[in-house]
Amino acid sequence: MGTSIVQFVYNYKDYAGKDCVAKLDISFPFEDESIDELVTQLLAQMDPMMRYLDEDINLQKELQMFIDREHQKFYDDYSEKLINQAANEELDLEAIVRNTERLYKEELLQFADRIGPSDEDIFAQSFHRLVHSSSLEDILKRERGYAKVIADMTDHMDSEVETLKDSQQQEMDSQINQLDITTTSQDINNLLAQQYTTHNFVRKRYESELEAMMGHQKNEYRDWITSQVSQMFQVSPVSTPLGNRSSMFVSQHPSMEESFTIHLGSQLKHMHNIRILSANVTDLCSPLHVDENLNGLNMALGLYSSSLCGVVVLTPSIQAQANKSIIKNANRSTEFHFDQMDVQLEKIEKLIRALSTSDTSSTPSNGSGSGSGSGNSTEGSATSSPIKQHVAKLKTGDFYITKHSNLSQSHVIFHLISDEPINSPSEINSRHPVILGLRNILKTASRHDITTLTIPALLRHEMSEDMTVPWCIRRAELVFKCAKGFMIESASWGGAELSTLQLLLPHDISEELFTTLAGMVPNVFRVANPKILVDNNK
Amino acid sequence: MAAGATSLTKSETRRLCAITFFARLHPGDVCGSNGLPLTPNSIAILGRSQRLKELQHEHLCQYLDVVRGKHERTIVVSEYVGCTLEDYVKRHSQTPIKQTHILRIFHQVASGLAVLHAQRLVVHNLEPRHILVEGSKDAVQVKLFNYGMHHMTKGGAYVPFPIGNVRYMSPERLLGVNGNIKSDVWAWAMLLLEQLLQTELWPKLKLSNIAWKVLAFARNTKVSVVEKIAREHQRLELYQQLPLEVRELLERCLSVLPAQRPLPAELLQHPCFAQLSQAPAVRPDASAEPVPLLLRCPLTQIYHLWQLAGGDVQAELKKEGLIRSEAPILALPQIVRLSGASVCPPRSQSYLMDDRVVLLKLQPLLQRLSRLPASVYFPLLHMPRQQQQQQQQQQQQQEQQQQLPLLIRERDIEYQFRRVRLFTRLLHGYPHTAEQLQREAAIDIPPLLRGPIWAALLGVLPNASYAKIDKFTATSTDRQIEVDIPRCHQYDELLSSPDGHRKLKRLLKAWVTAHPQYVYWQGLDSLTAPFLYLNFNNEEMAFLSLFRFIPKYLQWFFLKDNSAIIKEYLCKFSQLSAFHEPLLAQHLASINFIPELFAIPWFLTMFSHVFPLHKILHLWDKLMLGDSSYPLFIGVAILKQLKSTLLNSGFNECILLFSDLPDIVMESCVIESQKMYECTPKSITHRQHALRVQTPHVLDIGAGEVELQHLQSELCPRISAKDVHQLLLHAPEQLALIDLRSVVEFGHVHVPHSINIPFATVQLGEQRLEALQVPQLEVQLRQRIVVCVSNIHQHAVEFSQFLVACGVLRTCILHKGFNVLHSIEPNILISN
Repeated sequence: MGTSIVQFVYNYKDYAGKDCVAKLDISFPFEDESIDELVTQLLAQMDPMMRYLDEDINLQKELQMFIDREHQKFYDDYSEKLINQAANEELDLEAIVRNTERLYKEELLQFADRIGPSDEDIFAQSFHRLVHSSSLEDILKRERGYAKVIADMTDHMDSEVETLKDSQQQEMDSQINQLDITTTSQDINNLLAQQYTTHNFVRKRYESELEAMMGHQKNEYRDWITSQVSQMFQVSPVSTPLGNRSSMFVSQHPSMEESFTIHLGSQLKHMHNIRILSANVTDLCSPLHVDENLNGLNMALGLYSSSLCGVVVLTPSIQAQANKSIIKNANRSTEFHFDQMDVQLEKIEKLIRALSTSDTSSTPSNGSGSGSGSGNSTEGSATSSPIKQHVAKLKTGDFYITKHSNLSQSHVIFHLISDEPINSPSEINSRHPVILGLRNILKTASRHDITTLTIPALLRHEMSEDMTVPWCIRRAELVFKCAKGFMIESASWGGAELSTLQLLLPHDISEELFTTLAGMVPNVFRVANPKILVDNNK
Repeated sequence: MAAGATSLTKSETRRLCAITFFARLHPGDVCGSNGLPLTPNSIAILGRSQRLKELQHEHLCQYLDVVRGKHERTIVVSEYVGCTLEDYVKRHSQTPIKQTHILRIFHQVASGLAVLHAQRLVVHNLEPRHILVEGSKDAVQVKLFNYGMHHMTKGGAYVPFPIGNVRYMSPERLLGVNGNIKSDVWAWAMLLLEQLLQTELWPKLKLSNIAWKVLAFARNTKVSVVEKIAREHQRLELYQQLPLEVRELLERCLSVLPAQRPLPAELLQHPCFAQLSQAPAVRPDASAEPVPLLLRCPLTQIYHLWQLAGGDVQAELKKEGLIRSEAPILALPQIVRLSGASVCPPRSQSYLMDDRVVLLKLQPLLQRLSRLPASVYFPLLHMPRQQQQQQQQQQQQQEQQQQLPLLIRERDIEYQFRRVRLFTRLLHGYPHTAEQLQREAAIDIPPLLRGPIWAALLGVLPNASYAKIDKFTATSTDRQIEVDIPRCHQYDELLSSPDGHRKLKRLLKAWVTAHPQYVYWQGLDSLTAPFLYLNFNNEEMAFLSLFRFIPKYLQWFFLKDNSAIIKEYLCKFSQLSAFHEPLLAQHLASINFIPELFAIPWFLTMFSHVFPLHKILHLWDKLMLGDSSYPLFIGVAILKQLKSTLLNSGFNECILLFSDLPDIVMESCVIESQKMYECTPKSITHRQHALRVQTPHVLDIGAGEVELQHLQSELCPRISAKDVHQLLLHAPEQLALIDLRSVVEFGHVHVPHSINIPFATVQLGEQRLEALQVPQLEVQLRQRIVVCVSNIHQHAVEFSQFLVACGVLRTCILHKGFNVLHSIEPNILISN
């Protein structure tokens, strides 16, 4: 809709009775602006005396009438123009109708093609209900049983593969010793090939067995949950008074840890918890059911709640490749709620490929709000042009997300791409992509109710010799300060508030350095004063 | 009227309802033109919708509240009456509604439209569900509902979904014209036509086909729209039977070209409504059982009470399934790029616009308050003595409640109800009730009416002067104002909305223009914020409150050179800390942590820069009642609260502590400051630059008698002879007078019960009271105001410093020394 400018001409007599004119260009449609402002502008053209002569009263009245008239006229003219265009078929009415229909169908529930809640959704709700009832114990018991089976199988596989390897090694050694005596290099090559096949065969057999078992378990488990819920509906719904807010018990005894309560914000203060700890990142993603601890309960209670736990894991940009030991941990038991981690990673890799092809075909980047439709469509285009699979990878600062129900302290893992070479620590500033990626992570966390987040405080998971103490201090200070800034900013994002931020330091950090870095926390963040309750009546 | 129908409608009358929707998310990371992050749309909606709350008209449902939920959810609470036109028609489906009746309904709708048009608002979502009909047969009351959607979302820009029902949409709206009131006239006429033809328009057609139908009107401007519709629905005959006037009206309103359609105001004048207006407007409740008293109170108060009674809009919506709790983990994106672009799972349908209306039940509230006598609903301010005694009994009960902590009182529904009703009455009677208002405000102030109550306490009388002030001409301070506003209490939704920014800017500019002798000091924005927050829809009230507030508490603070004023103020602050907290003052002085380092923003903004709004409100509730010295006591109370920390801190720690003031418990701070304020004689707080309301007494400390350099050299404040005299007469047990003159002079003439410690004989080296060798001196000074009197001023100053060092509370110096006591009539001095 265009605008038009119309001049307002105001004729008046000044204090001496002389005829005067004040003029002002006003743009239409007239929106939001206040008439007072225009009156002031007109008065400014007049002698200051006129204000005291109450000229503004009449002026305002006339201006009001003028604006009402012109405002209406503008709209009427504009409408007429469009209608004439429509009548003369200068407008693409088809497109208008199509757009209208699309808008109504996509945004209004009344017109949308109702799709019922997805299976995932139903299962999520059933599980959440059940987990907050007296059946919680049964669920955990069952999960533990299942996990035991898988863990045993994996162990079995590992040991068998190990023994096979040993025997093959022995065989190979003996052959090599006989080289040029009874055997030729050709024989050795043959043996190698044969051994490899056997090895693969054994592994594959176990893997397919595992996969079958996991599939079986998953089905059984999900059926069982659904049946339990329908039973619960028949019986009176007795729910345990357990809240959603699960606190994370750290059972692994990380080597060092310190906690703070902080206040952020200049006038209105928000309270957050900060915990600085040194641990291996895989400890935060250890298998859930290895020992009888309370984490299983915590994770189950929190899974479909609005207080999730997330961990940021740094990963190089080569494909969607996650930390090997985390994958291994995730595979120690069946993932009952989501895809098994390998499958999730595979799907993500497919998406990444789709993204890079869509990037080259220059489709506009999809906004986070409407990412759904375009995500699917790009997937379609990727399969149609599989040749373009050249350098499909994410860049530093991008991240992908995997979801888990069988890890000890994280529902969500943010795999943040960082290509920092291991042996040469570089200097970065607050505009570095990794830091910005961290901000995006906090934003995603706020939007999706992740209230406990662990970030690598040095943006490193391992110590290396080149990481000097001053470097570590500089790096930690940068990360602390940026995290603080993002947390203050997050108050205006309108999402969930981050209740606990965990700053993770490498597990092999020296105790001295840990103390130094932990000592920086209260300096960077404002530590809350202890509240002392005093009886006023004394 | 059938009895059954009345009882049915009775339970339905004047209900509240809520609707909810999601505001549009900003894509990715975008910054505004000022480089700051964009305001979330839900906040912008919140700001814009405030204006709608002011609309009160018999044909409009009143807007009551807009609540912002998590993740950009917006909830709108408004009035709801009777039933929708849709249901109303269904209810009367057996017997078609009479034509006059239909016209009567639409006449009221038109007058609702006319009111909105006068406010330069358009509806754009007029449809049967948004027309509420109450009553039956001849006496109907019609109200427009949800008419503010277009305005609050800035014509739909802040929400992802389209506004309006295509069926009633005019051709130009489909073509993209947004904001023409004539489109509403079209919708109005379509609705009327629908009713007159006794059918539903295109009941079976799909959305796209309806859109085609409407667009077809635009393509062929020659054919009459009305006839075409009537023919399509096989109601041509029925149409032709309609009175000529009505047909003519419909024809005009459904002209394809908007210019040919009448404006809402013209609709009202149309001849076909002529007989209607003469019909006696019988109020439906005239003959029925009496309406509960509560329902005669303003709706805003009812809603406020509903909330206090445990009403929670979000919970009600959840119960109806309008807020669906979907597991957040399922909606997580899979990949997020650095640019903010992301790949998400398909969006859940729970984010779509669901236009269901959820009614909020008033029944529990009605029951809760039904036991209260009518005198609580409509309290009498002036009454004969007999009733007053009864009243007193009630008051005794209330007084017990007044012992409870403020936060509990603010949540006690019955208590709040009494207070709100009482203050409503008092405000009606203002300014004649000013005194009583002051008395009641001293107990507490109900949050709902805080804005007008503050204004009344400050003596504001609206006189339309605000409109005359030039708020728009560019000035040199604009830049600074522009920079400060986006940093002023932005955690608050109202103040961070674009409307809030605009209003704050206007207020600040108006204040600067209105005070040519002053300049804009940073901090004025924080000072204005609470007034704007409380009077968001009444800028004049906010302005006048500020206008009165500043001279009362901050006289001359906004001069271009305000150093003398601030120095004096801070000096007085130090003296008062020494007066009430000698040890702490001593410690701060010893580490050189002077008030200049931390207290300037406290006093320049009356603490509004250092505390969040909800704390400022409670603080200022009490501030408004005190005089210009009260803020000093608040400052002392804050120091007192941090006493233990401060005593253990050195200079650096103190600076760090005050650079970001820790959480202060406001209630104890308020109580403490009030205690100190009450037990401190007025002359102790004497400041030369304070606003003087009365001419000083001869024995008071006169203007210009104490120079700044003297003030700065004295650790203890001065007390006037008048206050000493008053204490001697009325509360001698609170006074301890230390006479520093020689024994001879003391023997000659002295004040009864005063303690003689000749200055010449004392050793001030050792800072212990025992060193003075006066028996039981400590007991004699405890709990009293200790006045040092001498005829050599310097002696008094030094001795008072010694007392402070010994930790003696409330030490002060008699202004003008002993000799001034001679001039008191009648004589108070005695001789041995």
